Amino acid sequence: MNKTVVRIVFAVLAVTYVMTHFLGHAHAQSSLGIGTNEAVLPQTGVLSGLLNWVNVQQQGFYRALTGALKAMREDGSKLWLLVGLSFAYGVFHAAGPGHGKAVISSYMLANEVALRRGVMLSFVSSLLQGGTAIVVVGVAFLVLRGTALSMTDATWFLETASYGLVTAFGAWLLWQKLAPRMARWTGRAPAHSLSAAAVAPARGHAHAHHRHHHDGHADHDHHHHASHGHHHHDHAAGEVCASCGHAHAPDPAAISGDRFDWRTAWSAVAAVGLRPCSGALIVLTFSFLNGLWLGGIVSVFAMAIGTAITVSALATMAVMAKTIAVRMAGDGRTGNVIHAGIEIGGAALVFLLGLVLLTASLQA
Amino acid sequence: MACAAALAVPVPAFSHPHVFAEARLDVTVTPEGDVKSLRHLWRFDDLFSSTVLLEFDANSDLKLDADELKEVSRVVYESIGEYGYFQMVRADDKPVAMKPPPGLMVDYQDDQLIILFESEPESALKLSGKLDFGVYDPTFYTAIDFIEDDQMSIDRLPQGCASAVVRPDPDEALVQNQAKLTEDYFNDPTVEDIGALFATRLQITCGAAG
Repeated sequence: MNKTVVRIVFAVLAVTYVMTHFLGHAHAQSSLGIGTNEAVLPQTGVLSGLLNWVNVQQQGFYRALTGALKAMREDGSKLWLLVGLSFAYGVFHAAGPGHGKAVISSYMLANEVALRRGVMLSFVSSLLQGGTAIVVVGVAFLVLRGTALSMTDATWFLETASYGLVTAFGAWLLWQKLAPRMARWTGRAPAHSLSAAAVAPARGHAHAHHRHHHDGHADHDHHHHASHGHHHHDHAAGEVCASCGHAHAPDPAAISGDRFDWRTAWSAVAAVGLRPCSGALIVLTFSFLNGLWLGGIVSVFAMAIGTAITVSALATMAVMAKTIAVRMAGDGRTGNVIHAGIEIGGAALVFLLGLVLLTASLQA
Repeated sequence: MACAAALAVPVPAFSHPHVFAEARLDVTVTPEGDVKSLRHLWRFDDLFSSTVLLEFDANSDLKLDADELKEVSRVVYESIGEYGYFQMVRADDKPVAMKPPPGLMVDYQDDQLIILFESEPESALKLSGKLDFGVYDPTFYTAIDFIEDDQMSIDRLPQGCASAVVRPDPDEALVQNQAKLTEDYFNDPTVEDIGALFATRLQITCGAAG
């Protein structure tokens, strides 16, 4: 298949998906004007039954949570019931649609991140989200009460900032994926990198500011190029795997420098974690108002851990699906094209998602 | 392109609700047999109510005074206005326009926020054929629940009319509407919100003479 065709198809798919699913659906502010609603990723037809079930379970959990909080108001020893329920709520909460999963999954698709790191990212971003909720409610309770600034305003601000970051992050990711190709099209890339350029961005290592790791790969490529000649494409396709992070461990350059791009990772984490989850806000507010400080905080972190587990599982599934898709396409050019297509598509999706959510949030 | 078409199929945005309200709906009827008004009562859950208390307690006394309640009323009134005050009224499956309520009465009792309002049809609405009255939040942020059937009632039922509370099974409603939805969507992207499919509704059916 022609690369340009693949690119266009992916662009069309991404745009169609976003346009048909988000516009008009993404309500950043809640319908009651109090509290914020999640701007959601809608489900595909096949999954709607399952997600509807998840939705029903979430309602059940929410009611159970309400009950546990009320029980704890009377009897402090009910804390563990609340923690358990919060954890379960977190697991189910994340199984529904949301921007956090989309950002983390797309980030993992667009970059060859070791699964272990991806799981850690999910945990850090979920915990940060819990932390943001605690700070927002804490500040609202101790400082903002009686001022003109409401918690809804504060949440709206954080939410808009979060969506802005998601957009910027998507744009940057897209640039990382596209810039080397554009350089190649315009013929400004050095001649010898023709094959390397086709391989390197496909592996998702095109981080301009990450010298160590880049150099390490240049060496690696040359080495194989020399010894295997034309087979280097096969090798590249074979590397398209979840364990790529480990595969290169013996590479001296890789060991000396951290292969993991922390700056990119932190921007993904911040983009997700800045926006507090409405469920957590509601539980915290009730806890704080009733003087259940510890209960509220412990409960929110239990919720965050539950969310992180689900997000990790979903992101892992996304990466595995990508690996399988590339494997099935076989070695060589087609595999490379599909790999590149998935990466660019992932980056484009994050960008469009951020843009749509940001627009909705600003219009609210 | 088949792929693009598959992705383009509109699917409901199931956000899960964050707010629960136990509701009552009373449909009032004039002696002439026209629908006079819809009276709504929503009692919100403890958690959401405490959020409201925290947000609107301007003088920090942990109580909502008259002024503060008025502010709650204003904010909610403005917001739900965008969504037709969560009302769904249909005559023979066609939407019926309702007048905005003059205002919302808001109270805070036993740690629960309570909202009351009354809305009238824009033009005379005769009790004939099939009429449906439902209350739902199209954004799924608020779950408006009618727990018992007697929480939806009509105060005067003319001869030859029957009333029933319909609680659609979400799975069935989805399956039944999947094909229709896709078709409608391509013909008219502004097709009515899917939330209406799931809403509990009071259905009044009157004989041909009605």
